[in-house]
Amino acid sequence: MKKRLMSLLMVAAMTSTMFVGCGSDASKETSATDAASSDAATEAAADEVVCPDEITIMVDATVFTEPNGRDQFIAKLEELTGIAKINVVQPDHDAYYDVVGQTIASGDWPDVMILGPTYLSGYASQGVLWDMTDAWNNSELKVRQTAFGGNVDVEGLMINGQLYGMPATRGNGCVTYLRQSWLDAVGMDVPTTYDEYIEVLRAFKNNDPDGDGQNNTYGASAAGFIGGEAPYINYWPEFYQDAFPSFMTENGAWVDGFNSDAMKAALQRMADAYAEGLIDPASLDQGTKDARTKYFAGEFGAFTYWAGNWAENIYQNLSQNDQDPEIATMAPIAEVGTYINRLSPAWCITSTCENPEGVFKYFIETMQDGADTQFLWTYGVEGVHWSTAAETLYADTDSPKEYAQGEFHGCDNLENPGTQYTKAHIDPKLALVELANDPGALSETAKASADLFTANCRNAEMVPSTQEMTDYNGALTTLKNTLIAKVVMGEMTVDEAYAEYESNPEGLAYSQAIVDSLNK
Amino acid sequence: MREKKTLFNYINAFIFIIFAFLIFVPLWKVLVDSVDLKTAYGMRLWPAEFGWDGYASVFRNPTLSRPLLVSVFTTIVGTAVALTLCTMGAYVLIQWNMPGRTFFANMLLFTMIFNGGMIPTFLVLKSLHLTNTLWVVILFPALNVYNLVLMRNFFEGIPASLFESAELDGCSPMQTFLRIVLPMSKAALASIGLMFAVTYWNDYTHYKLYITDSKLYNFQMKLRSIVMGSDLPSAQGNANENTVSNAAIIVIIIPFMILYPFLQKYFVKGVNIGAVKE
Amino acid sequence: MKNKKLFLKMYKYKGFYLMFLPVLVFAIIFFYAPMFGIRFAFTNYNGIKTPDFVGLDNFVRMFGVPSFWKAFFNTIQISVIKLVLTTTIAVVVSILLNEIINIHFKKAVQTIIYLPHFMSWVVTASLFTLILAPTSHGLVNTMLINMGFINENEMIYFLGKESTWRPVYYLINIWKETGWQTVIFMATLAGINTELYEAASIDGAGRWQKMRYITFPALANTILTVFILNLAKVMNLFESAFVLQNDAVLNTANVLETYIYYQTFNSGSIPNYGYTTAVGLFKSLVGCVLVLVCNQWSKKVRDGRGIV
Repeated sequence: MKKRLMSLLMVAAMTSTMFVGCGSDASKETSATDAASSDAATEAAADEVVCPDEITIMVDATVFTEPNGRDQFIAKLEELTGIAKINVVQPDHDAYYDVVGQTIASGDWPDVMILGPTYLSGYASQGVLWDMTDAWNNSELKVRQTAFGGNVDVEGLMINGQLYGMPATRGNGCVTYLRQSWLDAVGMDVPTTYDEYIEVLRAFKNNDPDGDGQNNTYGASAAGFIGGEAPYINYWPEFYQDAFPSFMTENGAWVDGFNSDAMKAALQRMADAYAEGLIDPASLDQGTKDARTKYFAGEFGAFTYWAGNWAENIYQNLSQNDQDPEIATMAPIAEVGTYINRLSPAWCITSTCENPEGVFKYFIETMQDGADTQFLWTYGVEGVHWSTAAETLYADTDSPKEYAQGEFHGCDNLENPGTQYTKAHIDPKLALVELANDPGALSETAKASADLFTANCRNAEMVPSTQEMTDYNGALTTLKNTLIAKVVMGEMTVDEAYAEYESNPEGLAYSQAIVDSLNK
Repeated sequence: MREKKTLFNYINAFIFIIFAFLIFVPLWKVLVDSVDLKTAYGMRLWPAEFGWDGYASVFRNPTLSRPLLVSVFTTIVGTAVALTLCTMGAYVLIQWNMPGRTFFANMLLFTMIFNGGMIPTFLVLKSLHLTNTLWVVILFPALNVYNLVLMRNFFEGIPASLFESAELDGCSPMQTFLRIVLPMSKAALASIGLMFAVTYWNDYTHYKLYITDSKLYNFQMKLRSIVMGSDLPSAQGNANENTVSNAAIIVIIIPFMILYPFLQKYFVKGVNIGAVKE
Repeated sequence: MKNKKLFLKMYKYKGFYLMFLPVLVFAIIFFYAPMFGIRFAFTNYNGIKTPDFVGLDNFVRMFGVPSFWKAFFNTIQISVIKLVLTTTIAVVVSILLNEIINIHFKKAVQTIIYLPHFMSWVVTASLFTLILAPTSHGLVNTMLINMGFINENEMIYFLGKESTWRPVYYLINIWKETGWQTVIFMATLAGINTELYEAASIDGAGRWQKMRYITFPALANTILTVFILNLAKVMNLFESAFVLQNDAVLNTANVLETYIYYQTFNSGSIPNYGYTTAVGLFKSLVGCVLVLVCNQWSKKVRDGRGIV
C-alpha cells in the first residue's frame, strides 16, 4: 500500500515537473520589475501553497561542501522537505560574491541564495529579491522565533520594514578572552571598567606574565585598528566603547558616527594605549590568522575574537602548544555595556523564482522547524556528520575519544581527518528557534563563551543602500581608516586628523552627502 | 670548453653564496615552522619540537588525490595547447614580408592591454558553455601574448639562411617549423614551457571564478584553502593550523624544486646550436 | 592589378595563415568577444538592470577627486621603478650566474633563488610582516639593535611608515621575482653561439670584454622585449601592493587597482561596474601610450623592428 502511494506521488510529482518545466523558460525571461505584479497574482492563491519540485540554491562554504558530505546532506534534505530535487551551486569561498555578481548579471538566477547584509540591501534595492515580509508575518516560523528569542535578529535585517532575507541564526560577535594564567601571574581579576582593563593590559605588558624573564609580551593585539567590514569596531570594543565610525541612527535620523566627540575620545584612548606599548604595533598590518597564531604562541594576553566555537578552538590550540589553556571570558566592561551582534547572512529568494511562497514554506521555514529538518541543518546527517554509535575515535593517537552507545558525538571530518564535526550550517547556540531534543554537542568552553555573549549583546544596524553610498562611501571609508591608523600610531593628533577630514573633499563632504541621501 | 678558475670565479661564487643565503632565510622560516609542532610566531632557527605531522595531515587528507590528478591533467594538456599556439603564432610573426603580419601583431598586442572586464568575460565563457568544465581552465589561459612575443624574440635569433635553404629544399611552412624552428629553440621551449606549466599548476583565479563544482578543483585550490585556513568560526578549525599551513606551502613549492634542475640542462651555453649540427 | 599581386603574395603565405588561424580564433573568442563590455564605461551598471547611459560621467567623477590622481601617480612610480630594478638585477644575476663554472653549484643557486616565486603573495606578505616587525620578533630590527645601530625604543616600523614602505616593497619584490626573471635571460644566454666566445678568446679578449661585447648585446634584445611587455602591465599592479600595504601608508602605497578595490569593497553596497570599467579603460589607454612610445623608441634602436 505504502509503495503504491509513493509511486502515485512520484507520478504526480513528475507530471507537475513537466508542466512547470515547460513554463519555466518563459517566466525566467520576465525581468525583475515584473516580479511585483506576479506577486499580486499569486497572493490570491496564497491559501494553497504548493511544494516546489525543483529548486536551485546558491550557497557559500557555511553549508557542507562537496568533500564534506554535501550529497548525503542534500539527499536527506530532499527527503525531509519533500522538494524532489535541490540543485546546489557552491562557489569557492574566496570568490563567492564575485560569482554571485556574475550569475546575477547573466540573468540565470538561482531560486535561493545566501547573502550578507551588504549584498542583501544592495540586491533588494535593485529588485533582485522577493519580498518575504508577508510570508514571514503569516508563518508559523515567526511564532516559533517569537516564542524562543524574539525577533530582533530578523527585524534587524529589514529594510524600511520589508524583509528580503531570512537569517538562519543570530549573527554572533566577538568577546574578549583573557589568559587566566596571566591574570594569576600578575595577581589581578577580570576587569570590569576601562581603567581596570588598562591596568590589566599594563601588567600584561610590563610584569612578565609569561614568566620567561623577558619583556616580550603585549596587552592586546588584533588584525587592524579598525575592522574591514561592519560592525568595524568588534575587535576593539574596550577602546571604541560607544563610538561607531560609520552610519548609524540617532533619534530616528541617520548620522555619521565618525563625526562625533565619542569617536574622537575613542581615538585618543587607542593612541594613548599604543604609545604606551599596550597594543601590539603589528596590529596595523597583520591578518586575523597572524593574530590568532600570536595568541596561541603566548605573545599577548587579551584577545577579542568570535564567541562560541572559537573559544573551544583557542582552548585546543593553547593546549597543543603546552600553554595554560584556561581562558577567562570577559563580560563587557562598564563603558562598553554590550558587545555587538553582527548582522547575520540571510537566505534570500530571488524575484525570478516561480513559486516563492512554496520555497519559503518548504525550504526556508523548515530550516527552523525546531524538529528534524532543523536538526539536519544543525548537526548534519547521521552516520556522516554525527553518530550515537559506540565507537572509539582516534584510537591510534595520544588522545583517543571513546563514546558509549547512545552518546551523541560528531564524526571524524571527511576533509580534515583528525577533527570532529561540531555543527552544520546552524550553530546550535545561535539558533533562532528552539531545537527539540538538542543533544547539545557543544563543549563547555564554547557554551560558556556563547552564553556570555548572548547575555551581553546588542544588534548591529542594517544600513540601506543608496546611489551616494555606492559612489562615495568607498573613498570616505578609506580616508577614515587612514586617519584612524595615523592617529593611533601617533603620526597625527586627533585634531589634526579631523582638520584633514573636514578639508579633504572626500571626507566630511562625502559623509554629509551620504547622510542626506539616507535621510531622504 | 673548460675554463680556468680565477680570482673572479671565487669572488663570483662568494657573492652567490651570500645572495642565495639572503633569499633562503625567509624560506627557512617556513621550512622550520612546517616541521615544528609548537606554534611559533617569531623566527626559530630550529624547531622546538620536531615532527612530520604537518605533512602527514596534508597528505593524509583523503580529498587530495583527485585535485592532484586534475592539476597534472590540466598542466600537461594546457601546456601542450599553449605551447602549440605560442610557437605557431610566434613563427608566423617572424614572416616579415607576410601581408597582414603587422596587423596580426598589433591585434595580439592590443589584447594584452585592453580587456572587457570580469562580467563580460564571464558572459562569453558561459554562452560557450565553458563554465564549470575543465576546458575553461585549459583553453582560457592558453593564448598568452606575453609569452608569444618572447617566443618570437627567440625565433628571431635563428639564422635566416636556414629558412632559405629549407624553402629551397621544398619544405612547407609546417615542415620548416617542425624540422628547423623547434629543434633550434630548446632553451626557449624549456623556459616558456616552464612558464606555462607554472601558470597552469598555480592557477586558482580561473577556478574560483568559473568553476563551482568542487570535483573539478585543482591541487592549488585545495592547498590554498589549507594554507589560508578559515576565518569562520567553523567546525573545521585545524589543530595546530600553523604547522599544517606551512607544510602546505612547502608542498606547493616541491614540484618546482624537483623540476627545475632537469630543465636546466637546456639552459647551458650552446644547446641550440648543437641541436642543428646533429 | 595591385590587388592581384597582393593576392598572389598572400597565396604564397597560405600555409602561414593556416598556422595562424588557431591563434586568431583564440584571440577573438577569449579577448575580442568580451570587449563589448568596454561600453559599460559610459554607463552606470550594477550587473542587474540594463546599463544606464551616462556619457562621460564616470570619467568626470574619476578625474575629479585627488585620491584618484594620487593613486595614478603612485602606480606609475612604484610600477616603473620596480620594473627597472627587478629587470636590472635579474640581468646582472643572469650574467654572473652564467660565469659560474661548477655546474652543481650553479644549479643549486638557480633553484634556490627561483623558489620564492612559488609562494603566494599572501604568504610572502605575512612572512615579511614578521621579519620586518617593530617588535622583538622582527629579525631585521633585532639585528639592528644587536649591531648597535638603534636602541630598543627606536625600532623601525618598515611597513608602517610612509618613508620606508616603498624601498622595502622593492626589496621584497626583488627577493621574490629575481630568480624567476633570470629564467628567460638564462635561456637567451644559452642561445649564444659558443664559437663567438672562442673566437674572442683567440683574439685575446678578456672576461669583461666578452661580457661587454658578446653576452650583453645578445641579451639586449630580450631585455628590451621583456621591458616593453611589462610596461603594458604596469597599470595592473595589484596583489603585491595590496597584501603589503596598510591603512597607515596608503598615501604612498595606494595604487589604482587597490584604489578601485577599496572603492568597491569599502562602499558597503554592490559595485558600479560602469565606474570600474571606466577606470579599467583609462588604465588600458595609459598602458597603450607607454607601450607605443617605448616601441617607437625600440624601433629606432633596433633598425626598424618593434617588439612585435
